[in-house]
Amino acid sequence: MPVKISQAERMMNLLALLVDRTRPLTLRQIRQDLGKQYPDSDEAARAAFERDKAALREMGIPIETKTLGGDAAGEVTYWVNRSNYELSDLRLSDDERLALQLAVATVRLGAQHGEEALWKLGGERKLRPTATSVNIGLVDENTSAITDAVMKRRTLNFNYKGEKREVDPYGMLSRSGFWYIIGFDHLRKDQRVFRVDRIDGNVGVSEARAFTTPVAFNVAAAVPTEKQMLAAGDGEQTTAVVLVDAALAAGVRNEFGDSAVIRDRTDGSVEFSIPCANMSAFRLWLFAMVESAEVLAPESVREQVVQWLEELVAGK
Amino acid sequence: MATKKPVKKSAKKSAKKLVKKPVKKLVKKPGRRGPRSAAQRVTGLLVMLPWIMQRKRVKISAMAKQFNLTEAELIEDLQMAAVCGVPPYTPDALIDVYMDNGMVIAEVPLVFSRPLKLSTAELFAISVMAQTALQLPGANKKGPLSTALAKIAPLMPSGAETIKVELPRTRFVKELLEAANSGERHEIEYFSPASQKRSTRIITVRKVFEDAGRWYVAADDHQSREDRVFRIDRIEHLTAVGIFDAIKEVQDEDLPWFSQKMPQVTLRVEPSARWIVESYPYISRVNNRINNRDVVDITMSITSEHWLGRLLLRAGGGVKVLKPVEYRNLGKQSAQTILDRYKKSGTSI
Repeated sequence: MPVKISQAERMMNLLALLVDRTRPLTLRQIRQDLGKQYPDSDEAARAAFERDKAALREMGIPIETKTLGGDAAGEVTYWVNRSNYELSDLRLSDDERLALQLAVATVRLGAQHGEEALWKLGGERKLRPTATSVNIGLVDENTSAITDAVMKRRTLNFNYKGEKREVDPYGMLSRSGFWYIIGFDHLRKDQRVFRVDRIDGNVGVSEARAFTTPVAFNVAAAVPTEKQMLAAGDGEQTTAVVLVDAALAAGVRNEFGDSAVIRDRTDGSVEFSIPCANMSAFRLWLFAMVESAEVLAPESVREQVVQWLEELVAGK
Repeated sequence: MATKKPVKKSAKKSAKKLVKKPVKKLVKKPGRRGPRSAAQRVTGLLVMLPWIMQRKRVKISAMAKQFNLTEAELIEDLQMAAVCGVPPYTPDALIDVYMDNGMVIAEVPLVFSRPLKLSTAELFAISVMAQTALQLPGANKKGPLSTALAKIAPLMPSGAETIKVELPRTRFVKELLEAANSGERHEIEYFSPASQKRSTRIITVRKVFEDAGRWYVAADDHQSREDRVFRIDRIEHLTAVGIFDAIKEVQDEDLPWFSQKMPQVTLRVEPSARWIVESYPYISRVNNRINNRDVVDITMSITSEHWLGRLLLRAGGGVKVLKPVEYRNLGKQSAQTILDRYKKSGTSI
């Protein structure tokens, strides 16, 4: 009769055995050594062993195998090489562990992986609140597939804006509350930017295909800023003169820089030269300031703004 | 098709997200856990055993808290580990972990004394978090965090180099971070776009935080005698006052804006304004087909009437207010206010 034992306990004993033994073991030897922890029937024991092995591999423990020849032809041996799964000692100082602890407590990423990394590095999760926090939450059902593919340079497959994309992810960027993937889009045959939260459904990762990232690739420069978005269009007018009231002028100056300032008025309001080649992006930017901003010139852009407003008032 | 998980909880939760986040998929708050799988328990033990062996003795209650387990779960796992080991399973061949007098004790390492390698997800998390923390204003770029990151670097897959986080650069963040740690009161001049008014206040900074590309400060406002959250980019002047208050720890859940009572609205969103559904959290969502168009009716919390007016303007005709009735004409009114400005100023320069 097999001894009554939980799967967790059996897995611990299996791993301890494989780690402890210096020679590879066959399933027959494993069953013998574990002393009836596996079921009596060969078939049931094999099934249970396969389940344990798969679960351990899933945890990042590489169980190696080799099929024997000669007298034992066909029999498989199993072993674990500790150096393949154990973390080497990084010799972190107490100060370094504390610095990592504070970083993990301060930055919110959405999952518990930061805390798990801390524990493995011998640190502790900070249980008291910090005076600073930063939220760059990457909370998405595809997070682990995407980050894994980016780190290991594997091609991603996903649906985006109604099309199937195959993308070699060159990098990832977190900016203004969104995560972006930048990569080579095989459909468009060009480098493209994708917002992670706009990916439809599940992401697939190719196992085999690896790619190289262009040498000059710069992840921050690859994602257009709001300023660049406003300029990226085919509108007839490329810039507009926008008067921004004193209350919001500092923010606009901060965003577009001093070079965008045309004139400071005495009441504190400021005239800016703002790109408007992409009129829909320009509209979103302009109306975010509600009545605190006004297009002064050119006439055609001003007329367009007035027309938008009239349509809204008319309920169109 | 990926569907966003709507915030089902209270208005409190959605209010928090509303200001906070052009939301991605919101994560479900973990509810009551079911029984833990064998894999979960073993994974946990493979993390906890090296951790406790390094420390030798830790209080059961502290260790349970550290690992997000109940004390009963932790005891159950450690009791199981204590009977595991290698053949012949004699006492000296078992994992040497036991509990005594409220303490977990692990003195003689046998197997499982070294932690598992960091997974890709863990490497991603720790490097991104450290990289982000190093960008905080005033961070010591040559301090222990940098050297820790350098020691982890050799473990990183090559693709990690091109993962970057950008924090917004906002004036006064550094000073306010220092104020949060010193307790020194500050005078601020603050502009509120909702009231279109500037006000001067004396605040004691409690927490400085970044969310969705903006910096905020949570503080005691000595004028109103209330806890308030201010957007740092709307602070126009900041002066230290020279009076110091005792430091008070603030949990995120206790931040005042999270508990503000927010009005709720129901909006009908046309396909042209679908970005709204992607960008803001909603409490509920109903997909409808009206006149051959796929529209979405969403119910969301708003921070102010001004905020909703701004949203309606930006959405153009793509959004209609269904409820409450008093906001039905808000988009028109907001457009009319701006139109009046254009009419008053006459022609362009």
